[in-house]
Amino acid sequence: MNTRGYYWLVVALSVPAFLWLVPTLWMVSLSFQPNEVLARTTSTTALGLLPIPFTAENYGALFTFGQTPWWFLNSVIVALGMTLGVLLVSTTAGYALARLDFPFKRALILAALAGLMVPEQAVFIPLYTMFADFGWHNSYHALILPRMAVPIGVFLMMQFFKAIPDDIEEAARLEGVGWLQIFWYVMLPLARPAMMTLAILTFLYAWNDYLWPLVSAQKREFFTITLGLASIQSNFAQSEGLGRVMASGVIASLPVVLLFLIFQRYVVQAMTVGGSKG
Amino acid sequence: MARDRIAGRRRLTQKQAAALLLLPFFAVYAMFLVYPFLRGIWISLHDWNLLAVAFNPDAKEFIGFENYQRVMWGQNIEWSAWASPALQVVGLAGAGLAAFLRRTDRMSRATAIALGLASVLLFVLPGFHPGEGGRWYDRRFWPTVGNTLVFVGLTVPGVTLTALVIAAAINRETRAMAVLRTLFFLSQVLSVTVVTLIWQIMFSPRQGLIANITEVFGGTPIVWLTDQQFAMAAIVITTIWWSLGIAMILFLAGLQDISADLYEAGALDNATGVRAFRHITLPNLKRTITLVIVLQIILHFQVFGQSHLMTQGGPNDTTQVLVRYIYQTGFRDSELGRASAMAVFLFVIMSGFSVLQFVVGREDDR
Repeated sequence: MNTRGYYWLVVALSVPAFLWLVPTLWMVSLSFQPNEVLARTTSTTALGLLPIPFTAENYGALFTFGQTPWWFLNSVIVALGMTLGVLLVSTTAGYALARLDFPFKRALILAALAGLMVPEQAVFIPLYTMFADFGWHNSYHALILPRMAVPIGVFLMMQFFKAIPDDIEEAARLEGVGWLQIFWYVMLPLARPAMMTLAILTFLYAWNDYLWPLVSAQKREFFTITLGLASIQSNFAQSEGLGRVMASGVIASLPVVLLFLIFQRYVVQAMTVGGSKG
Repeated sequence: MARDRIAGRRRLTQKQAAALLLLPFFAVYAMFLVYPFLRGIWISLHDWNLLAVAFNPDAKEFIGFENYQRVMWGQNIEWSAWASPALQVVGLAGAGLAAFLRRTDRMSRATAIALGLASVLLFVLPGFHPGEGGRWYDRRFWPTVGNTLVFVGLTVPGVTLTALVIAAAINRETRAMAVLRTLFFLSQVLSVTVVTLIWQIMFSPRQGLIANITEVFGGTPIVWLTDQQFAMAAIVITTIWWSLGIAMILFLAGLQDISADLYEAGALDNATGVRAFRHITLPNLKRTITLVIVLQIILHFQVFGQSHLMTQGGPNDTTQVLVRYIYQTGFRDSELGRASAMAVFLFVIMSGFSVLQFVVGREDDR
């Protein structure tokens, strides 16, 4: 394509790209406007897309009033805990299934593969009764454990470990290094890119998950930010003020958006894997 | 010292090491996925009230498949080929098309079977209806399934077409295109509650951006979320905006695999721009398109948050979807048995599509 054609294509595409950005931009802009103004009109300047008149007090209010900082902390704990847990079970099982030889290997792989067909939405009721029997609801482990059972990470790691050439492992075996040492000192360092992808996939999932926290966390102290935001949006205009709710939305999105902007390549890869396999 | 430790560990045989490494995953897998799955089927065979059983574990009663009957069946249900002519004609046409395309070898076997099966179901299922004096035991279940299908039927083509066009246009390794890609992908990482928060207010007739724009042009704002005509459209628009990213990325990956030589050869035959897209891009992207469609069906059939948070299933149940109905039956009406029967129904449909996805994903390994 010639240069002028390319130039026009970029200009033409900027219009839908900008439109795609507008809703997010609008949230950010509203979060920086005073609630008294928003109660009257949301289109003060440029249809409300520019935050004039400007104020940052909605963000200040979040830290002095309401539970947003607490929910944010819960989300951090749950997302990091789930990420570590998933990394642990996925790398160990993935390595064993990819590179070790043992009885019933094929059967175990198939058994794990079958788990990919079970959607979260089909098991949340029995999980609820089960956790209720244990008295586990309203806890961090209740929010973390169910996702650790999803086999997608195992398959991601298994595929990665399978692609590593045999001679690295054989050299270590000849040196008399044990299997667990090979896993820890040789394989894990090699697997860093795949672990990064899996970590980001899990973190995004944990941060954004809605259905299971909704079912499991009934006490507001154990809400994640995603769940907490849902609980305040139904009465947004009346009690809390539109600007303040939008500020909560911005805060709730900040970690995942930053993660995306910094690690874009991994995020795209993670979501592609997550999308295409589970 | 270190050498001693290594020598000590070497006594672990390969089998023992494997057992040790497999244990953590398979323990959580058995406990939090396999067991709940089986227990879900078990619950679905009981008259199981959430609150009653919570107080007294013996308050459940084994009733076999009665929950399934109560959810899906009714009194005096009859079948006829013209109960719902529009859908059934489409079903018949689809089945014929699948057979024809397979016969003339213009469609792979897996796709033909999938299309054929879906079409036959579309012909058979809407044919059931209550006869004279009959009624469905659960009036809301099939309309809910229908709404879910409408949602999927609007969202999946919407996302697929938009993503395909955008991906084809930005498929160049330049900085400007990378920025555009980022802009289109950004909304994908937001959580469902942020997305619904944004769009609830976007659609608000009093404060919404859309209403603000309408008013600039002197129109009357639409009451999107509480108007029966627009509520479904509103959550479909929201979902297309939200989930364009993955589809676009998958298309971009597929486009990278098409050799540049093909386009050069096409250019010699005067095939550039739209013609190149039709005659070179589309045929070579067939497998990716199928994959994206199947993926989207799986993803969007399980829609919950958009309906739960934006419209609460309303107005008048027009946006009530299957997962939300399961959630409500289980946790508002406390009918865990019936809710589980619906969850099993969801699983059966989803596993069908998972198998299809697996088959389609496998086709490139030949």
